[in-house]
Amino acid sequence: MARIVVLGAGVAGHTASAFLRKWLPKRDEVVAVSPMAEYNWIPSNIWVGVGLLRKKQVVFPLAPVYDKAGIEFKQARAVALWPEGDAESQTPAVEIEWTRPDRRGEREKVRYDFLINATGPKLNFEATPGLGPGKHTYSVCTADHAEETARAFLEEVERMRRGERRRFVVGVGHGSCTCEGAAFEYIVNLEFELRARGVRGRAEILYLTNEYELGDFGIDGVHIKRGGYITPSKIFHESLFAERGLDWLTRAHVRQVEPGRADVLTLDGEEREVRFDFAMLLPPFRGVDMRAFNRNGEDITARLFAPNGFMKVDADYAPKPYEQWKARDWPRYYQSPAFENLFAAGIAFAPPHPISRLRTTPDGLMISPAPPRTGMPSAMIGKAVAASIVDMLRGAKKPTHAASMAEMGAACVASAGANPFTGTAASITVFPIVPDYERYPEYGRDLNYTFGEIGLAGHWIKILLHHMFLYKARLLPGWWMIPE
Amino acid sequence: MSDNPNASAAPPPHLRPWFYATKPTRWTRFLRTFIPWQIVRFIVINLKMMILIRRSHKGMHH
Repeated sequence: MARIVVLGAGVAGHTASAFLRKWLPKRDEVVAVSPMAEYNWIPSNIWVGVGLLRKKQVVFPLAPVYDKAGIEFKQARAVALWPEGDAESQTPAVEIEWTRPDRRGEREKVRYDFLINATGPKLNFEATPGLGPGKHTYSVCTADHAEETARAFLEEVERMRRGERRRFVVGVGHGSCTCEGAAFEYIVNLEFELRARGVRGRAEILYLTNEYELGDFGIDGVHIKRGGYITPSKIFHESLFAERGLDWLTRAHVRQVEPGRADVLTLDGEEREVRFDFAMLLPPFRGVDMRAFNRNGEDITARLFAPNGFMKVDADYAPKPYEQWKARDWPRYYQSPAFENLFAAGIAFAPPHPISRLRTTPDGLMISPAPPRTGMPSAMIGKAVAASIVDMLRGAKKPTHAASMAEMGAACVASAGANPFTGTAASITVFPIVPDYERYPEYGRDLNYTFGEIGLAGHWIKILLHHMFLYKARLLPGWWMIPE
Repeated sequence: MSDNPNASAAPPPHLRPWFYATKPTRWTRFLRTFIPWQIVRFIVINLKMMILIRRSHKGMHH
């Protein structure tokens, strides 16, 4: 009998738990540990944040789903790893702290044979003074944040209906942020909703981003064949903003936020003040604060985790300049080099380096997007890690399923306005996610599999994905047939 | 009141960052929400995505 513990119940963790349970015999235990009581289909938080959906439409309780599936669920956060075991037992363990109200604060060591760290990001609002809910800006990173954002947004709409002019700022709240795609979706949805509510003429809207050019999205942009040209994503992104009258400020780092204003530093070292009445700025991510100890209780955190808190896996972490970055730097199996029964999936693994070129201000401050690893790649990594563990339990000496972001593509549908007849969304595919200039010397990607277009069809697909992935996450009949 | 997104008290168009950006023609914008055309695009995009997903899943094994 084996016990596999999965830390996290987001896209990567939930996918891994579900497939482990499907593939492993009943005698093996699958334990899911998540501090949240609910699953959140995060991509749809965008629509919650503009008041189109309510929180209950994008979340569901995890306990009954796991109970029905035969997965043990512990509503707790992981605080420490003991990968060599401890004084009591040589079996590896993870120390957890319960967050369920009736056991809140209670600590427990859960022994494991294999562990998948899929804890996702810590939303690091603290990196920028004044950033985040409860301070001076809003967020759509969680369903609760998105609901609060929607309330504030709808208040702004009411003010504009009374004749006031309002200034909106949407983007990222730090020079090292990732998830620019979510900020993009939010700003175009916000603009669409202002138009739908007849108050667009009273709004000024600014997109504030750390990207060097629009359309970078933390993946160094993409090139697409269209209209007889091979065109960079910057052109399409700027075009959409131009069409909708959205202003933008790129290459920007938010130094601090005060009520109604953000202090911004741009890549050329210029200091600016950005004023706003409403700001939705995403935070930078770091790994969750988990420590690691050896059997003697000595701290080995630095052996397992990178300084940013993400877990080191089978990537090449040797520092090197942009020109020497290779596709093979990226991990294939997500196995810890220190312990063969330890894996990281989704945002929790430490990338070897960004995908977009690193850029710094004259004073050396980095203003450059971190690499995204959400959605489709997260799910595929979770599934590949689960498959490898199943094979290793059956006797394989090493992981058997690879899911390198330099070998897989991603399909993304970015909402640009939610209405079944007048809405649109940008449908984008990119292959591979991490450019491979050895295989595809010119653009780093296969242009036959990299495309993008905007239209109503994309919105229909977005709606379909919302329902399909919530169905899949609920583990309803045939869930496993829905691709990641 | 005007529903034109560009109608505001902000700087005039030639002083905004989007003045130098490519903008879609009316025909392009019309096609984006023209339902018969979008039904065709729905099928095409889904096929393209399925091909990409299939190719990505193939790479998961050795």
